[in-house]
Amino acid sequence: MHSLYSERRTWLHAVPAGAKLVLLALLCTSLFWLQRWEALLASTAACTLLLASLGRAALGAWRMMRLLAFTSILIMAFHAWLQQPLVGVGSALRLLCTASLGTLLTLSTRHTELLEVFESVLAPLSRFGVRPERLALQFGLMLRFVEHFFVQWSRLDDAYRARSGRAGGWRLLGPLTIKMLVSARRVADALQLRLGR
Amino acid sequence: MNPSRHTAALVSLFAALLAVFGLVPKLDLPLGVPITLQTLGVMLAGCLLGPRRGMLAVLLFLGAVALGMPLLSGGRGGLGVFFAPSAGYLLGWPLGALVAGLIMARLPASSPRTAALSALVASILGGLLTVHVCGVIGLVNLTQLSWSQAVTGTLVFVPGDLIKAALCALVVHTVARGLPDWHFGGRAAQ
Repeated sequence: MHSLYSERRTWLHAVPAGAKLVLLALLCTSLFWLQRWEALLASTAACTLLLASLGRAALGAWRMMRLLAFTSILIMAFHAWLQQPLVGVGSALRLLCTASLGTLLTLSTRHTELLEVFESVLAPLSRFGVRPERLALQFGLMLRFVEHFFVQWSRLDDAYRARSGRAGGWRLLGPLTIKMLVSARRVADALQLRLGR
Repeated sequence: MNPSRHTAALVSLFAALLAVFGLVPKLDLPLGVPITLQTLGVMLAGCLLGPRRGMLAVLLFLGAVALGMPLLSGGRGGLGVFFAPSAGYLLGWPLGALVAGLIMARLPASSPRTAALSALVASILGGLLTVHVCGVIGLVNLTQLSWSQAVTGTLVFVPGDLIKAALCALVVHTVARGLPDWHFGGRAAQ
């Protein structure tokens, strides 16, 4: 599975993940305080310029931004219909800004770097019995099994098609869920044998 | 037979199942109504795993989305989705799984039929009502709609979610028959 992270290095890749997360939190909070549409328009222009400054690395993000732009137009149209066009413009611009800031972080930061930040933030909780290292294990297990279950779904669908000539659709949900629960028992036993937990 | 040592595996694998629900094509029900499956996954998380594990599975899944994995239906992912108009619904998912699990753990599940009926109630109150309340709060705050406008907007999705609650009950019925020793709602396991 491919993350939205871009392997093409940009200036933003060099900024530490922790600093980017703190900046994102500060900027998004201040955006919710901004009310004037002129200020929000300037912020949106700045965010678009930031995305554009990543060059070809941001290509994957534009598809998502196009979808978001479409949603923003709908929001503006809805508010215009309610005789509050400026409120609509403000909301749509705020959404575009915060979403592009989030996308900037995702494009330029590996998920392993973000996990490290979260683990170090959660580290003080180890005194209270929370094990941050378990988070990385669970994350890895999850990603490993996405592909496994997708293959299982395809096999169930093939078998159903062979029997009935139609796609399995919702009828496969039960069998797939049972396969997942049985796999979880097996994985739990394997983990206990290997790691003692 | 879902003791506490199974927690890590159940949470991780269920989060993977939620991701697969986003990858499979939209399902067309007999009436021709297309539905995506991830909110059904939230209902199932609470009913099958219980409140704590169900919520943790959804949180792990959302954590992976926030870290940039394109796991939401339509290949969406990254932190940007948590600022979109639908962010309230996304953040309502773990709460929905928690409420569905709490209700499922308190309702009878002695036979496949009673388990399915309990799952129907749990998924309507948890996966539907709780998630829609969070979604409306998100819509009001993110798009500056009034409460009545946001409620009207969310009502459009209620019929589809009622169908998902019924599907959740059907899946629970199948699991109750296929795995008779499964503890629904995480009872006697946490």
